[in-house]
Amino acid sequence: MKAISTVNLTKEYKKLTAVDSLNLEIEEGELFALLGVNGAGKTTSIRMLSCLSSPTRGTALVDGKDVQTDSSSVKSVIGISTQDTAVAANLTVEENLRFMAGITAPSTVAKSEINDRAEKMISLFNMEEVRNKKAKTLSGGWQRKLSIAMALIGDPKILYLDEPTLGLDVLARRELWKLINNLKGRITIVLTTHYMEEAEALADRIGIMIKGRLEAIGTVSELEEMTGKKGLEEVFVSIAEK
Amino acid sequence: MKKAIVFAKRNFIEMSRDTLSYIFCVAFPIVMLVIMTLVNESIPAEAEMTIFRIDNLAGGVVIFGQTFVMLFTALNVSKDRTGSFLIRMFASPMKPNDFTAGYILPMLAVALIQALCIFAAAFIISLITGFTINPLAILLLIPAMLPSALLFAALGFLFGALFSEKAAPGLCSIIISLGSFVGGIWFDAEATGGILLKICKCLPFIYCTKSVRAAITLDLSFDSFILPEIIVIACTVVLLFLSSFAFRKRMKADLA
Repeated sequence: MKAISTVNLTKEYKKLTAVDSLNLEIEEGELFALLGVNGAGKTTSIRMLSCLSSPTRGTALVDGKDVQTDSSSVKSVIGISTQDTAVAANLTVEENLRFMAGITAPSTVAKSEINDRAEKMISLFNMEEVRNKKAKTLSGGWQRKLSIAMALIGDPKILYLDEPTLGLDVLARRELWKLINNLKGRITIVLTTHYMEEAEALADRIGIMIKGRLEAIGTVSELEEMTGKKGLEEVFVSIAEK
Repeated sequence: MKKAIVFAKRNFIEMSRDTLSYIFCVAFPIVMLVIMTLVNESIPAEAEMTIFRIDNLAGGVVIFGQTFVMLFTALNVSKDRTGSFLIRMFASPMKPNDFTAGYILPMLAVALIQALCIFAAAFIISLITGFTINPLAILLLIPAMLPSALLFAALGFLFGALFSEKAAPGLCSIIISLGSFVGGIWFDAEATGGILLKICKCLPFIYCTKSVRAAITLDLSFDSFILPEIIVIACTVVLLFLSSFAFRKRMKADLA
């Protein structure tokens, strides 16, 4: 079974087609990057795949479940880290993690299990030194790490990372890349980005979105072969200028 | 329901770490209680004005305090809507009713703490001024203030769902002023008559004040306690449905 599969997935607003007939198949355990400039339709695609926004047309199956007719089941297998760090500002790192574990865990899960999940995330993301700090006092990098940890705490099968390193300095970005790389193969990750080097460094396959359409899809070498260009930036420019 | 409680706990902790909530929800109503008691001491007995006597004043101040519960509910919801926090929550397995309960339940806890503090302050003032408040009235005050607390929390939820972080507090300030005025908190609305009394009776605030006042004076008569309480409960049910519906609609619109 594919982790994600979409057929002609479309989102239209009054005068704008944000996503136009998206046909996509993502394998389980794959790290797939949606690459595109601002307004290309990446975030809208993620929103439709996470049941936040209803498609105008087409279908999308996430872990075999329809995003429109079985949204509860879809929501139980996904985790999302949005562009802005969606954390509870006045809660500490540990409280944020426990809170999110409580929200995502089934009602049968015991409190000790919730605490264990929070501890596991603190250890996985090396957050021991900030565990008792309020989220609003953390640097951008730490907030982003916390946001991803919160998305992961429900043990999702599919993780959406919407522009995970947007606005971060180079060191914080590299540290996040390391963390995302460590997750590779363990769960399916869909990452949106407009940084070429990020897609190149992290993704198994890359989908290039231009003005709402998925114009090309493949590994970096497949895309290079397709366009006859060297390097992802050249590939991207040649596809965008077509 | 478990998720609603987890969400409610988060909202309660967030609010408990905001110093302004202590100032507006607890300190300010108690300051008003003291100031109005001093005003009452200055009114000559011949005026036969009992509105600021502590047994009457306490009930009014409980409702005055609840208007700030409305303000903080509106602030919590509108703030969450501004950032991405609610987007994460909407992609989680939470159900729409979990959001309504999660925002309103902690405000009931705040209103309860607030009412207990105001009652304790009023009881101490009653010992000083000599107008007795029966300490057992607290047993009646707790169930009597819950419907009005729910009403103000639902109003706050409605404003928070419909308006932005900047607009919602402003609109709540209008309700705080209007509620205090037509709710008969600072004057005896029923002694006025005419168009003003008609307006007062068309809005739920006067019934909130009346029922809580009656609870503190242990007046359980139909006209003073039971009828106003029924009206408050009916308005609360309508506002809860309305605010919950508005929240769902607004979030769908925000996410579309």
